[in-house]
This record gives sequence, C-alpha cells and structure tokens, in this order.
Amino acid sequence: MNIDPFLIWLESTALSQWIVGSESMFAFPGILALHAIGMGFAVGICLALDLRVLGVAPGVRIAEMRRFVPVVWAAFWLNAVSGVLLLIGYPTKALTNPVFYLKLLLIGVGLWLFKRIGRRVFDDAGDERAQSPLVQRLAIVSLVCWVGAITAGRLLAYTYHRLTALG
Amino acid sequence: MLHDLQVWLVTNIIAHSPVANLMRTAWAWPIFESIHFLGLCMLIGCIGTFDLRLLGMAKRVPIAAMHRLIPWGILGFAINASSGLMFLLTEPDQYIYNPSFHFKFLFITIGGLNAATFYLSSYRQIFGANASLNPPLRAKVIAAVSLTAWVSVIICGRMLTFYRPAPCLGQQTSLLLTCAPALERGARR
Repeated sequence: MNIDPFLIWLESTALSQWIVGSESMFAFPGILALHAIGMGFAVGICLALDLRVLGVAPGVRIAEMRRFVPVVWAAFWLNAVSGVLLLIGYPTKALTNPVFYLKLLLIGVGLWLFKRIGRRVFDDAGDERAQSPLVQRLAIVSLVCWVGAITAGRLLAYTYHRLTALG
Repeated sequence: MLHDLQVWLVTNIIAHSPVANLMRTAWAWPIFESIHFLGLCMLIGCIGTFDLRLLGMAKRVPIAAMHRLIPWGILGFAINASSGLMFLLTEPDQYIYNPSFHFKFLFITIGGLNAATFYLSSYRQIFGANASLNPPLRAKVIAAVSLTAWVSVIICGRMLTFYRPAPCLGQQTSLLLTCAPALERGARR
C-alpha cells in the first residue's frame, strides 16, 4: 500500500509546516521539550513503582503509590498530544521507520503492565501480593519495556531513511 | 576571564579528549543519549515524586519512608552527569559556547543548592523522632523550587540542539562567550 499521497497531504497542511518551519521556540523545540518532560514523569513514576515492587523504599505502603497514578496518566496524555504533533510535523520520518512501531509497541506493553501491576498491588494486601513471583516478573519486564521505549525513541533520530515525502 | 576559561576548556578538550574517538563511532552517541534519557526518568521518578510528596500528594506516606527513593534519583543524576560529560568531552564547543547549556548548568546548580538547603534546614522536622506527616512550609517551597529547577533542566537540555550551529565559534556577546553563526556547516552533530 502506497501511503505517499497521504504523507504529502499531511506535510502540506499549515499545522505541519508551522511545526517544522516556524522560527518560534514554541513550535518544534517547545513540543519536543514537552515530550521530554512528559517522559520524565510518566516513565519515571512507572520506574519508581517497579523499584518499589522490587523492594526499594520498603517503608512506603505500595497502595499509597496509587496517589501518583493520575500524574502518570496526565504525563501520558501530554506525550500522546505532543507525540501526535511531532508526527504531524514529520510523518514520513516516523511512519516509514520500523523503529517507530517498536517504540509504540513497547509503550503499549509498558502501560498495560503498569495497569496490571496496579490492579494487584493498589489495595490493603498490596505489599504481600507485590512479593509474588508473578508481580516481581511483571515489574522486571516493565523496566525492560521502558528502557527499550526510551532507546527506540532516541534511535528515531538516527535510523530513519526518509525525512519527508514532499522532498 | 570567564571567556578565557571557556576558550581554554574548548581548546584543551579538543586537544586531549580521551573519549572523542569512542563517541564518534556509529552507535556510541545514540546509546549515551538513551542512557541520558533513562537517568532523566530516574531523577524525575524518584526526586520528583519525593517533591510531590512534600507538596501534599500521597499524604499518608511517612516522608522518611518516601526518602528511601532518593538514592535512586541521585543515581539517575550521576548517570546523567557522566553521560553528559561524554558529550561535552567530544564536542566541547557545542556546549561551552551554547546559551542553552549555560542556563542548563545554572538550573542544575540551583537544583543542587536547593537540595543542600533542604537537608540543612529541614532535616530534624522531617526525619526526627517527632516528624509530622505534614512538612513545614519551608520544605514545601524547597520542593516546588526543586520541581521547577529539574523541569527547567529538561527544557534547556532539549533546547541545546537548536542553539548550536556546527561548528560553533565563540563570540563575545555578554557575560559568557556564545555561539556565533558558523562559517561553514560541518558534518558534526
């Protein structure tokens, strides 16, 4: 399937051209900065929960970590929106690169694990259940997913083979 | 004087950098960038959540217990100081003349001094035998400064790219030398 007509159309839209071409610091650089801040909070808190499950900071009752869940989702939505804007800026660069789909997959699995771990540990029996081999394994896979998602995201700047369809 | 120091640093790093050859291999730069981003997440995930706790989130968690996450945040900072040094020791002009790097360094210093202030001013109220679940206002102000400083560090870090024509030549403009428009655009990152 040839998606070039769609890519060319998207790259010709005023929004795409503003994101890529504007001299404003609020265009591409600003969106990229928001994307990094969102990553810090979303991935950072997921990592902190994984560490807690794996035995770090034992005095913190795991159920209380639930209070930080809204921060993860707020940061996730910040990144969903900023990510879509970056995608509108350079659709060809991302959509023609398999690494981009790997990044999305790793983020998807990471968030699914975050919810699955949360369902098991965010109640009064959470501290006990966190010690089960299953939850311990989920936390380790979660750590691996986030490290992978970060690395895949960074590699997007180096592994693309087409920058734009418009040329 | 600061200008001389900047020129001296750039000249000497270019002449003697022990890591430049390694960092110019195909994979080293992206791998160290990924490590730098992972450190960022550890710092925000552990120090940022501790700041949020001081500001009133997850109120029922004893602050001393929450503090056990801090060493992992400091590890994140150490990872980023080391990986950041690798970039600096490879392309010194891109950072030492870069206004965005000057601000990044300033905010890192503010974050560090702010953390020192926390331990010097609030240690007993937070970690003492009679520690309350509600920290003093002073600690909350410090937490807000901490969050602001580290988020500003991220913003300046992301902006570095947009303030570094390659190669970057020192130009006397203000307190510090900053990037002058490049004479020739090289292939350097």
